[in-house]
Amino acid sequence: MLEVAEPRAVAGRAPDVFREGKWVPMRTYDDNEEVDFAIVGTGAGGGTLACKLAEAGFSVIAFDAGPFWRPLEDFVSDERDQGGLYWTDERITGGADPIELGSNNSGRGVGGSTVHYTMIALRWRPEWFQCRSKLGYGRDWPISFDELEPFYEEAEEALKISGPISYPWSRRRKRYPYRAHPVNAAGLVLARGCEAIGVQWSPLPLATLSAPRGMAHPCVYRGFCAYGCSTNAKQSVLVTFIPRALNAGAEVRDLAMVGKIEMGKDGKATGLTYHRGGAWRRQKAKHVVVAGYAIETPRLLLNSKCDQFRDGLANENGLVGTHLMTHSGPGVWGIMDEEVRCYKAPPCMAVTEHWNYDDSDKKDFRGGYAFMSQGPLPVGWAEAQAINRGMWGMKLRQEMTRYNHVAGLRIVGETEPQRHNRVEVADEKDQYGLPIPRVTFSYSENDRRLIEHSKGSMRAVLEGAGAKELWTDHDTSHLMGGCRMGDDPDDSVVDRDGRSWSIPNLWVCDGSLFPTSGGVNPSLTIQALACRMGDRISGMAKRGEL
Amino acid sequence: MLAPRQPEPSHRPLIAVAAATVATATGLGWLLQRAWNPKGDVNHRAAQALGAGAAILCISVALDSAIEHYRGQFKDRAMFVGPTMALLGLGAATYIAFRPEHANDRLPKIALFTVGATGLIGLAFHSYNILKRPGELSALNLFYGAPAGAPAALTLAGLYGVIAGEMLSGRDNVSTRLPKHTAALIAFSLMGTVAEAGFLHFRGAFQDPAMYAPVTIPPLAALSIGAAALTPRAAAFAEPLLKATAVLGIAGPIFHAYGIHRNMGGWHNWTQMILQGPPLPAPPAFLGIAAAGLGILPALQEAGE
Ligand SMILES: Cc1cc2nc3c(=O)[nH]c(=O)nc-3n(C[C@H](O)[C@H](O)[C@H](O)COP(=O)(O)OP(=O)(O)OC[C@H]3O[C@@H](n4cnc5c(N)ncnc54)[C@H](O)[C@@H]3O)c2cc1C
Ligand code: SF4
Repeated sequence: MLEVAEPRAVAGRAPDVFREGKWVPMRTYDDNEEVDFAIVGTGAGGGTLACKLAEAGFSVIAFDAGPFWRPLEDFVSDERDQGGLYWTDERITGGADPIELGSNNSGRGVGGSTVHYTMIALRWRPEWFQCRSKLGYGRDWPISFDELEPFYEEAEEALKISGPISYPWSRRRKRYPYRAHPVNAAGLVLARGCEAIGVQWSPLPLATLSAPRGMAHPCVYRGFCAYGCSTNAKQSVLVTFIPRALNAGAEVRDLAMVGKIEMGKDGKATGLTYHRGGAWRRQKAKHVVVAGYAIETPRLLLNSKCDQFRDGLANENGLVGTHLMTHSGPGVWGIMDEEVRCYKAPPCMAVTEHWNYDDSDKKDFRGGYAFMSQGPLPVGWAEAQAINRGMWGMKLRQEMTRYNHVAGLRIVGETEPQRHNRVEVADEKDQYGLPIPRVTFSYSENDRRLIEHSKGSMRAVLEGAGAKELWTDHDTSHLMGGCRMGDDPDDSVVDRDGRSWSIPNLWVCDGSLFPTSGGVNPSLTIQALACRMGDRISGMAKRGEL
Repeated sequence: MLAPRQPEPSHRPLIAVAAATVATATGLGWLLQRAWNPKGDVNHRAAQALGAGAAILCISVALDSAIEHYRGQFKDRAMFVGPTMALLGLGAATYIAFRPEHANDRLPKIALFTVGATGLIGLAFHSYNILKRPGELSALNLFYGAPAGAPAALTLAGLYGVIAGEMLSGRDNVSTRLPKHTAALIAFSLMGTVAEAGFLHFRGAFQDPAMYAPVTIPPLAALSIGAAALTPRAAAFAEPLLKATAVLGIAGPIFHAYGIHRNMGGWHNWTQMILQGPPLPAPPAFLGIAAAGLGILPALQEAGE
């Protein structure tokens, strides 16, 4: 199994992700040196923010519980071996619809989940930021699309998103930095199906290169994206914002698990306690940013409880960990007459957002969903047939002979924020002696109606494309919420800038900020929020408001 | 308030490669020009250059279509037609280039006429292939579907060959209208090739500034030779610009070789990257057209006088 035992970013240098065996210089700080920002997590939120803050001249240390990968050397085209990319520490999951945790929703390592994400880079539907006032459901965000738009643009530019010349949904936009990739056969099944039933489709904007960029190679369409990209075509945080952050003087501490945020008598954070190299250590910091994603962020805030903050940090109103959301992900699959070889190229290459933008009465649910073409790899596919369809032995072997003809669709389905869907901490402890998280999740009635509706749409599209013997399965994907942002201190954990209402030098910057989940993949929005936060914090520093 | 833009990866390697490539290509161009030994009157010389231009276009198409159709596994038998016809055109056009006095013979003329006509059929085929894909006439299908440029280049090669013969036919219009029409055709050929290169470089997001070269110099050359068709005095501008275009045609494959190097595995993985990287044989089309253009200039000037 892919594993790195010892920290690599030590002694003033960090791995050079673009050159085998080479290093880049890295500024290092002493534990007792009070840095401006200590950031917990280096994923879509934390890694992006570390770069922005370092480039703005702040002293920054970014901690990650996982290793500092060298994609060109560490990553291999082996589904099993790449399992080391996921956060697989013990967690308890429950509720009426327990979420499966691990490969499909949490990464562990410098770059966070973006190291093995599928690179779909979509903007939010503009109205979703005011979905309560404009669409009549969910909650309003404290910021608008207009406020975030320049930062979407900044994130897209930083990741050189390869996208279509014109994307049929959302607002008119600046052209994507790179051109769209050729759509694979699985994507063309979606395209043909959509054209058959008269809904729009589009090639997906993806965070993988369609042309060279510096030392990064363009995509070779091998399709191992969800298992770590070994060409650096994937514009993960590990190969984009992290090298920039290092260049700007940030320190990255890999294999450094943060266990607690330290609080001073004045009610402000003073730094954090982390486990690295077999020992617990303390880092002093003027500000602490938590960016561990929707489970680990609430967990760390809850585990940092102390005499002053008995219910955990930033938790006066009891909202930390609540309103956790996932994206529902039913899939519909079928067999095509022709060979599809859906595993070729990035797994998702075509999309329809039709039902995200359809406000007609034809929908019997609130919210939206998008669906994408799918490209499962062989081991994962065999596993899914065994688990979801009870196939085994000869039956499974026979089914696998049809693998080249399989085509499928899966939604990213909005779920409602519900208070009882939440992250808490349990009595059990993990390998560091820290209480493990307990995750509870149940769909609402509306969520279930959305799921049923989407199955009908996906069936229609697949049938329109000529697929036969359709079947469905169910999965979930991204996590969102748990420390939602808002304008009302009684009704949110942090303000519109990710700053905790009660502890002025404690911030959150990751997917847990989301008040609602929307019907598209979240990372571009997380990165736009992080870019915005970086600018806001620089502005506050200049005005003396930090 | 936006922060300073992201520092891009260093452009230094790109600048070094561009300088070395342009120097090499200019040197090669100079050697080629010295080796070029046109004979006879302006019409003979024009015929010879048109033959050479057609031959270069045919090499470019033969290699390009062979590689691309190989990538398509020659799934359809018709995919053998393009490379075969390009080879036939290459033979006939080379013959004309070396023996311009035979340019008006039946055999080479028929061969090149057939090659040109096949180019048109290929163009129709490729267009049909694009239109039957989901999305029909979308940018995506134009980016990645069957290219219009390659079969069109075959047609041009055929036309150049046929015109070479006409130049020696002794007909009245040879000394008057034909050179002007040919100059116009060359301007059109250049613009078509510019459109193709520009479109594909746009697909590559102009990630290397050198990718702008084929959309800046050849259009000027096209303009000047187009102007020369109207007023022969413009030929003075056309010559250096056509020469610069020819140099680009030589520099192109070197740039593209570097582009292949920048793909995963680079030249160590050439069997894959020659298919996935920028096309090596495409840019010499500029050399072919420029050569034909340079060859027609003296006849054009004489026609003007
Ligand atoms: C298989 C898969 C496919 C996906 N595909 C897409 C997609 O196509 N498009 C899209 O938009 N989104 C996609 N996502 C979701 C996206 O990757 C996440 O939403 C996003 O990365 C979350 O960002 P984050 O900053 O909140 O957390 P992460 O990126 O997960 O980063 C959190 C980091 O914090 C570290 N950490 C956590 N706790 C601690 C601690 N206590 N101490 C130290 N470090 C800690 C973790 O190790 C991790 O590296 C996908 C996710 C997965 C798993
Ligand atoms: S398909 Fe492209 S993005 Fe995915 S792993 Fe391969 S090279 Fe990387």
